[in-house]
Amino acid sequence: MNQRLSTAVPYLIAVVILVALPLVLQSYYLSVATMILIFGLFAMSLNVIFGHTGLNSLGHAAFFGTAGYVTGIAIVTYGVKSFWTSAPLGILGAAVTAAIFGIIALRVSGVYFLLVTFALGQLLWTVAEKWNSVTMGRSGFVGIPAPDLGLSFLDLESPVGFYYFVFVVFSVCYYLMARLHRSPFGYALQGIRERESRMRALGYNVWLYKYIAYIVAAVFAGMGGILYAHFNGSIAPSHVGFSTSALGMLMVILGGAGVLWGPVLGAALIILLQGFASLLVPARWPLILGALFVIGVMGFRGGIGLHMVKTVRRVFSRGSNQG
Amino acid sequence: MAVFTICLLNGASFGCVLFLLSSGLSLVLGLMGILNLAHGVLYMLGAYIGWTIAAHLGYSFWIAALTAGFATGVMGLIMERGFLRRLIGLPNEQVLLTIGFVYIITNICLWIWGSIAKPPFTAKFLTGAFTVVGWPYPYSRVAIIVVGLSVAFGLWWLQEKTRIGAIVRAGMDDREMTKGLGINLELIAGALFFVGAFLAGFAGVIGAQLIGANLGHGLDILLLALIVVVIGGMGSVQGSLVGAMMIGLVDAFGKILFPDFAMFMLYFLMVIVLVIKPTGLLGRKL
Repeated sequence: MNQRLSTAVPYLIAVVILVALPLVLQSYYLSVATMILIFGLFAMSLNVIFGHTGLNSLGHAAFFGTAGYVTGIAIVTYGVKSFWTSAPLGILGAAVTAAIFGIIALRVSGVYFLLVTFALGQLLWTVAEKWNSVTMGRSGFVGIPAPDLGLSFLDLESPVGFYYFVFVVFSVCYYLMARLHRSPFGYALQGIRERESRMRALGYNVWLYKYIAYIVAAVFAGMGGILYAHFNGSIAPSHVGFSTSALGMLMVILGGAGVLWGPVLGAALIILLQGFASLLVPARWPLILGALFVIGVMGFRGGIGLHMVKTVRRVFSRGSNQG
Repeated sequence: MAVFTICLLNGASFGCVLFLLSSGLSLVLGLMGILNLAHGVLYMLGAYIGWTIAAHLGYSFWIAALTAGFATGVMGLIMERGFLRRLIGLPNEQVLLTIGFVYIITNICLWIWGSIAKPPFTAKFLTGAFTVVGWPYPYSRVAIIVVGLSVAFGLWWLQEKTRIGAIVRAGMDDREMTKGLGINLELIAGALFFVGAFLAGFAGVIGAQLIGANLGHGLDILLLALIVVVIGGMGSVQGSLVGAMMIGLVDAFGKILFPDFAMFMLYFLMVIVLVIKPTGLLGRKL
């Protein structure tokens, strides 16, 4: 009981802070907070295959962007009004893309998996940029309205309303991913990460587990992409390709793949820094981002989240049970 | 028939540029297991340095190519000695680190050379054209093929016929065992990284005869080089040559036959090779 309470307290504090944020933040900072939740969801979804299964994908934005595009096209081009239709369409788009890419990419492993997922992501980027009649080409697909939930008392056009909407979706996805992580399926994935040959010897269909994990991760990434498309009102080829994929990977590594909320922490750091840098030195942001990649890799391997957890544990255990 | 011959030459010349680039990437990946995503920006940096020396300052094209290669080689050596050597066996960290270099070098290039693309340039004695099957064809493209095939032969000879090549091949097969025999593999690995980075910058200047220098090349050309490595297989000079020539030819013929889908043909080729032989056509086993 005590154990359960002590794990629940940090979550309660986080929820209280996140719910109270709109009361203290101005609309610009509230939009930054919304961005953090959206990219936190994206980074967590990447961690389902990256941290938990050990598949290093460099093309995860493919699902983020595809879902965003599909939702946008459904709403703007085909006039699908309700969020309850457009969002499932977007998620279906991401899942189908993952089902196809997974068959190709999972033929290889290790570094080759990186190369192939990278190439497949860039393939979608080419499609998004070249298929002008459908995707509006290089400048991106624009004019995506706020989601229409069919609930008239909710004003999702206002920053505060949209923030709470994103918060609810984020919380549901977080809960589902946490459950997945601690389910038999999740443990099997971690077993595959640790020793694939042993899992195979135990009778697990390793390929199928990886394939399903790949699709599940794509579904959550797609949810992030849908939120982003509504939030930004547009989605661009870069959201399908390399730069967004790499950013997601940096968020996971910087925040810590070993901790469930690590990727969210990473996302918060990157988005906050991006916010400040784009105000102060917009032309040099790539330079700062590049330096961040280098510093993050050289200095914080294992992630900031893991360092935080260790520090907290050390403080609370008073060093009594340290072996 | 004329169109066919021209396409063949175009494909072979672009394939040779891709070979110069991807051979370094493939050998470094094969020997050290290092995936250097900054290889493409080294190419781009080489092209810009070459443009400055040859087109802007007016020195010889070949001096420009060698200087650019040397500069990117030193750059590569710094990346390897300072950073990548500590990340052996950590592919994710290598990828993130080299992505960091992609952003840094691209932004510095933007700072120095601006956002306007530099036009193609070539050596003075290569500016003319001769007649192939009734069409004028530039000397510069033929020069690219000659340079590319010479380097390919040189690398093949180095890897298959010399003692250093034998050490490199042994290191790819069994790293620990090679070290255990008292061979300074770190030294060889560093030298190989320098050669790979040198070839990337050199390829940038050679390739600038076709496509000039452009800030987008850092990623565009990297993508092509990675597809070459996937198709040809890592750690093999012959594999890189075969893969690069296939990509070059498919690209050249694709642009004529299906102008809108040329890029997709390359992916299609990659997927077919992955389905038939996941380790690449001539690759070593992982």
